[in-house]
Amino acid sequence: MAEWHRVAALSDLSLEAPLGVRIGDLQIAVVKLEDGVYAINDVCTHEYALLSEGFCEEGRIECPLHQACFDIRTGKALNEPAEVDVATYPVKVEDGAVFVQVP
Amino acid sequence: MARTVIIGAGQAGRRTAEALRDLDPEAEILLLGEEAHPPYDRPPLSKAVLLGKDPGNGLFVRAPDFYAGKRITLRTGTRVEALDLAAKQVVTAAGERIGYDSLVLATGARARPLPVPGADDPRVHTLRTLEDAQAIQAALLSKPRLAVIGGGLIGLEVASSARQLGCSVTVLEAADRLMARCVPPAISDMAAALHRGHGVALHLGRTVRRIEPRPDRLLLDAGDVQVEADLVVIGIGGIPNTALAEAAGLAVQDGILADACGRTSHPDVYAAGEVARFDHPFFGRQVRLEAWQVAQNQPAAVARAICGQAQPYDEIPWHWTDQFTWNLQVFGTPDPELELIRRPAGEDRLTAIAVDAGGRARGAVLINNGREATPVRRLIGAGKALDLAALRDPAVPLRQFL
Ligand SMILES: Cc1cc2nc3c(=O)[nH]c(=O)nc-3n(C[C@H](O)[C@H](O)[C@H](O)COP(=O)(O)OP(=O)(O)OC[C@H]3O[C@@H](n4cnc5c(N)ncnc54)[C@H](O)[C@@H]3O)c2cc1C
Ligand code: FES
Repeated sequence: MAEWHRVAALSDLSLEAPLGVRIGDLQIAVVKLEDGVYAINDVCTHEYALLSEGFCEEGRIECPLHQACFDIRTGKALNEPAEVDVATYPVKVEDGAVFVQVP
Repeated sequence: MARTVIIGAGQAGRRTAEALRDLDPEAEILLLGEEAHPPYDRPPLSKAVLLGKDPGNGLFVRAPDFYAGKRITLRTGTRVEALDLAAKQVVTAAGERIGYDSLVLATGARARPLPVPGADDPRVHTLRTLEDAQAIQAALLSKPRLAVIGGGLIGLEVASSARQLGCSVTVLEAADRLMARCVPPAISDMAAALHRGHGVALHLGRTVRRIEPRPDRLLLDAGDVQVEADLVVIGIGGIPNTALAEAAGLAVQDGILADACGRTSHPDVYAAGEVARFDHPFFGRQVRLEAWQVAQNQPAAVARAICGQAQPYDEIPWHWTDQFTWNLQVFGTPDPELELIRRPAGEDRLTAIAVDAGGRARGAVLINNGREATPVRRLIGAGKALDLAALRDPAVPLRQFL
């Protein structure tokens, strides 16, 4: 069953400053953008790196290792060396807390 | 229908073919490669492959059916022996003649051999191809004493991988510091400390003059230093594969000479990737760069030139290496004579920016700090004088300078 997990207080997140969180075995990057909070799988699909360690701007996050970029809203891989998109997860904000739903 | 023949099915050959297909749905594209495999990227060879880890799609970036899907005719195991520029044909080792309208030389480089006695012993390896990596990986399984000759990027990656597999490792470097061609001395010193801290025996300023093969070991003679090993890996750089170009009369000088769009001295012929010595606007001169970035993106300029849409390749130079706990990234030209401003960002994390006398960022080195890749690239690209007092304060974020 898909479950909601509280991952942070909304006040912990600043704009375009990704936060790496763990839910069970999943590593997830939570990012606040102008139009809301988004959650994507934190592990780059190229080799192994945490996207939450990368540079974030204009709705994109850049892998800290080899500079593949992903669209934070859709998880889409935007340039090489990544070929595969990252998973996205539903996010809701309630009473100042951020929740992520994982399968 | 115009036909482009690309010689060399490595990363640059693949990227030329892909970029050409994106620009021209009609083009006929032939990609001829000597190796038995479809194109692969080499960086994982000294890292994941040696470690016996799954390199994911970092090695064979494309699935085998990708090429047919893009109507790129890929012929592996096909070595080109000669060019006939007058007839616009290439001649394969099997004697087949293949005509072209445009020809791209993407023949890369080969490992530079060490010209000393004993270097031909089968326990002495170089690392360039997947087969080389697999042979070294197999040899590492018995946990040999490994001696690495050359303290450059590849040698140090091999040292790091072998050490992580539990081998005892000695590195011999002729220069007085590590990675002397690509990082400033302060970073070389940190790298030396990293390797020593992980148990690598380092000998700087030592030139190996002789390898003496004994049945049960190899003896390396570096003057006042003698090293015993069971396995040797040589990593002393590459030699560009320019023989075809030279024999055909193209201008060659440690690389096939080309302009910023990859056009060689002959109008129908282009050079892509590591074999090319091309005009690079960032350097203001011709350079030959042994980096993934160049093999990845310079071919797009070649493809545009072929399609009559010439536009120079002018990226800020970048390469990376992974050694032990480090991901090291180098941008621009952090030359030793520049002032290096260090901005520590926590344990084992650093941004170092090389500034010239005018206070302009010319290069940067990041250790485990890839999140500043884009900011430093922009700083270097902007080329404007920076407030150095503020830059020296790691608490002032880089964004403030952009
Ligand atoms: C072990 C290793 C690790 C590396 N790690 C990094 C790294 O971490 N970061 C980084 O930035 N860069 C790294 N590099 C550098 C980068 O991989 C190279 O610069 C890049 O592979 C160059 O690509 P290329 O296509 O120009 O040449 P190559 O990949 O060498 O491809 C050339 C191809 O042409 C073929 N060929 C040559 N002559 C002929 C002929 N006559 N007929 C047919 N085919 C021919 C060759 O067999 C080869 O397959 C590494 C390189 C190596 C070897
Ligand atoms: S691991 Fe992310 S781009 Fe390579």
